[in-house]
Amino acid sequence: MEVVVLIKPVPEAETRLRPSADGRRWDEEGVKFVLAGYDESAVEQALLLKESAPGTTVRALSLGPAPRTEEVLRSALALGCDRASWIEAPAEALGDPVGVARALAAFLRREPIGLVIAGKQSLDEESGVVPLALAAMLGVPGFGGVTNLRWSTAGGVTFDRVLADSVESWESSVPIVIGLQQAWNDPRTAKLPNILKSRRLPIERVAIGDLAGEHPSDARIERFRFQLPSPRTGAKIIDGQTPDEVAEKLVRLLRDEAHVLP
Amino acid sequence: MPDFSLSPEQVSLVDLARKFARTVMAPQAAECDRTGRFPEEIYRKAFDAGLVNLNVPQEYGGSGLSLLDQCLIVEELAYACAGMTTSIIANCLALEPILLGGTVEQRERFLKPFCAKYQLASFCLTEPTGGSDAGALRTRATRDGSDYLLDGEKCFITNAPHASLYTVFATVDPSQRHRGITAFVVPRSTPGITPGPDEEKMGHRASSTSTIRFEQVRVPAENRLGAEGEGFALAMRTLDQTRTPIGALATGIAQAALDHAARYALQRRSFGRPIAEHQAIQIKLANMVQRVRAARLLTWQAAAAIDAGARGTLESSIAKCFASDTAMEVADEAIQTFGGYGYMKSYPVEKLLRDAKLTQIYEGANEIQRLVIARELLATYA
Repeated sequence: MEVVVLIKPVPEAETRLRPSADGRRWDEEGVKFVLAGYDESAVEQALLLKESAPGTTVRALSLGPAPRTEEVLRSALALGCDRASWIEAPAEALGDPVGVARALAAFLRREPIGLVIAGKQSLDEESGVVPLALAAMLGVPGFGGVTNLRWSTAGGVTFDRVLADSVESWESSVPIVIGLQQAWNDPRTAKLPNILKSRRLPIERVAIGDLAGEHPSDARIERFRFQLPSPRTGAKIIDGQTPDEVAEKLVRLLRDEAHVLP
Repeated sequence: MPDFSLSPEQVSLVDLARKFARTVMAPQAAECDRTGRFPEEIYRKAFDAGLVNLNVPQEYGGSGLSLLDQCLIVEELAYACAGMTTSIIANCLALEPILLGGTVEQRERFLKPFCAKYQLASFCLTEPTGGSDAGALRTRATRDGSDYLLDGEKCFITNAPHASLYTVFATVDPSQRHRGITAFVVPRSTPGITPGPDEEKMGHRASSTSTIRFEQVRVPAENRLGAEGEGFALAMRTLDQTRTPIGALATGIAQAALDHAARYALQRRSFGRPIAEHQAIQIKLANMVQRVRAARLLTWQAAAAIDAGARGTLESSIAKCFASDTAMEVADEAIQTFGGYGYMKSYPVEKLLRDAKLTQIYEGANEIQRLVIARELLATYA
């Protein structure tokens, strides 16, 4: 069976975002886009599923502009994905998660659908909409916040969902779309020879406009302002010779100034 | 006009090296520096990631990178820890004579099994009585039937106690000086080889350095690289290849020093404002970044020239000499920027100065580099 893993190029974690000149989004100038966060864990999960059942292959699927989208797909190939598919779309298309899900659904419908997995949300927009919207559009089950995803003996999957005070275990047939919780696996790092090999592998490309019923101008939402939170002020460093002295001063401040202690 | 931008493939190599350097090497760097521990688990991980035998062609199990690509990786690794980087790239130095001087049969026999799993190799040239004057080496290779017997002592040998393979330079006739020097590939399992204890070093403390003694070490003639007397030229051709990555290593130290200094300058306040707003500090930082960028470009230029087929003796000597002097100067200025804190071991910049010092000494002392540079320069005018 083929596992499709959805990935998205996101700014490197150390990036300092700045508003763009028109104030509507963040400035992409000089920003490095990478495969990271929930998506990196999703690729790791797909590869673990591949390794646990002979005959499983993994296809990475991404939507977005050049060159960043091609680069994250090559990262996925270097990690061990067998195929990569790229829905070429302008950067603005990424601002509308329902539109992204529509394009992905149009792409995936062209072939029989098996297991589709994604991070529960992208590291930059964090909307968490795509996996579940995609499931709804495909008319298949969709689950978010999933951990411990495995093939079931019945040919489907089993997985857990960790809730505030409990853990649920589920079993499902495929097709299904799964949004994975991050950080329960330890994503592997690509090896140098595989990075070199991945540069020479083909990537399937489809323009978003060529997908049935999909046009980049379909977006019905628009971001009109992007702002950075104002810097936090008022931090105070408490001096003291001993931990006891510092603790005493801290308690006094919490009681007399912050009024959070009686 | 040359294009100084990196290809997408080169960017992905840099990304790999940077991630490895910052997530695997950097967290252990201070502890290894303090204790002198040889972090073999890190070198094993570097091998698994394909970061060890960078210069060995893929057909022999290495990574088969161009010299420029090797330099991109080495700079990233050295940014995190120069000492670990020295141990990681020691294989490139030790295996280069086999690549340059070995027959196809020798490359198959030595490189394939060696690169198939994690192993270290050491380049054994320097002796206690002299490093720069390699022509005066004393380790003897005495012909005995179809074998040679090696006798002598080498010193300052990187990874020697941990290596499973040595490339050893010995003389078949000391009276012939350079023309007597001959290179041999010697497996560690050969009887008569005794590495000494680790040296206590000023810097590069995560790397292992020791003497190694050869007593009646029997080496078959088929382990000889090239003909008798070709060893000196082979050593020099090897160093022409491996000198440039030392420029990259030094650039990595210098970039780390610059980054630490600039970040500290923005955060440390004096006279009511960040010290980065004082011109005295701005001038330091401006000088540092000029040196770092020039060192990087000279290194890239030397690597690109050698990749294009040039011998590159002049270019690689300029790159190594300039970049290592830069590492010293920039690390020194980084400490000065930190003031008293820079002198403390709990801050990262004093390590950079100790690490930088070795880059002026090893793989050809900078005095020798300057002699080479002058000789090559004057030859173009003669």
